[in-house]
Amino acid sequence: MPPRSDRTLSRRDTALFAVCVLLSALMLVRPAWGDAAAGTVRRSVLVPFLWIQGWSEASRTSRASFDALRAQRDSASYAAQFLPALRSENQRLRGLLSLGARLTIPYRAAEVLHQSGPTDGRTLLLSIGRRQGVREFSPVIGPDGLLGVVRTVDPERSVALTWAHPEFRASAFALSVGVFGVVRAAVQVTGSNQLLQLRGVAIRDSVPNGTLVVTSGLGGVYPPGIPVGTVVGQAQEETGWERIYVLHPAASPEAATQVLVLLGMTDTSLARLFTGDSAP
Amino acid sequence: MMAIRGERGRLWSVLALLVVLQFALRPRLGMPSVAPDFLMVALLLFAIRSRPGAAAVAGFLVGLAGDAMAPARVGAGALAHTVVGYLAAWGRAVFFPDNLFVNGLVIALGVWLRNAIQLLASGAGTGSLPSQLFVWAPLQALTTALTATLVLMLFQRWLDIRIEG
Repeated sequence: MPPRSDRTLSRRDTALFAVCVLLSALMLVRPAWGDAAAGTVRRSVLVPFLWIQGWSEASRTSRASFDALRAQRDSASYAAQFLPALRSENQRLRGLLSLGARLTIPYRAAEVLHQSGPTDGRTLLLSIGRRQGVREFSPVIGPDGLLGVVRTVDPERSVALTWAHPEFRASAFALSVGVFGVVRAAVQVTGSNQLLQLRGVAIRDSVPNGTLVVTSGLGGVYPPGIPVGTVVGQAQEETGWERIYVLHPAASPEAATQVLVLLGMTDTSLARLFTGDSAP
Repeated sequence: MMAIRGERGRLWSVLALLVVLQFALRPRLGMPSVAPDFLMVALLLFAIRSRPGAAAVAGFLVGLAGDAMAPARVGAGALAHTVVGYLAAWGRAVFFPDNLFVNGLVIALGVWLRNAIQLLASGAGTGSLPSQLFVWAPLQALTTALTATLVLMLFQRWLDIRIEG
């Protein structure tokens, strides 16, 4: 029989373990409490650590960014020689087609602060926040397409919910066939790649493989025309009234290092989205 | 008493170094799903030298910090780290905490178990669970264990590690 002090310590260990498990379970079943606790930790204890990580991410990408910018500058210098002629021709063609001015949306570039947990990629911690103009529901895009939408905004950081998250939805449009649907992460237990689903396609419509799917602009969160993915097949789980297509995502949240956060969508007239050539 | 305090101080110095490495060095390594998890190394080094209760609390705090930075499902990381920390400390009775190989093995198993619990608790249905569990988690476990081995070899005197096994 262990000494009394050992038994007391053992009971204390078990009690501490039980309390920690209980608190974890509470945060799991009450997401609002969990989000509040996580936000508090992020805005207090973690601030200096996230500053270090942001600085480290920025210095890692600065060299690559510099090379890319230099290449872009060279290309831009070359293209600028023809710019006045191109601009006037563009205006003339837009006038002929009765198109409105191209939609311009303000944006901010942000570093992605990746974490070590296995669920990194379902959400992304971004290096900009409310002070830089980020708001809830600001769309987040990468060079290849849509990544997600801002869910939580802190003064200096924000958390984006990506398409890999089970709660993500976006209204989308299959180019070249004119079919609308709703995009979400694919429910998948095999395979090595995360895929998307285009759901809610009417049973009478079909979308061939290789079709590019872009955001439709419906709902007012995402501007139209952002690539979401490419159709790679049809899912087996048809429900009788809809077809479900499997998409290969255009952009990978896990590989994203720098993103653009689109700002000011809530101030933009939705009508304007559907009249210009930016509509898909 | 002074010796114990000095030993504790050295352990905390190594843990602090690992925390700094997590935020300053890890982002530069790229491939976040495979890069070594310095926080897990710190947690498990602490756990296998502490009582299970303290290890569980440390795991909970590390997990909560992880949840705050990647809040896909807040609570999943806290739960996973709590369980792993507690088990690592509890397992001290059945292995030798001063053995280099044992430390590496415990850390590799701990990382894999953490990933498994966190994926399951956060609802892995939308991801590819087998590839996460049997490709990415083992790779991260391997890189983390190798990193831990390097740290243990560098600080063997501070952490009372036997290199000869």
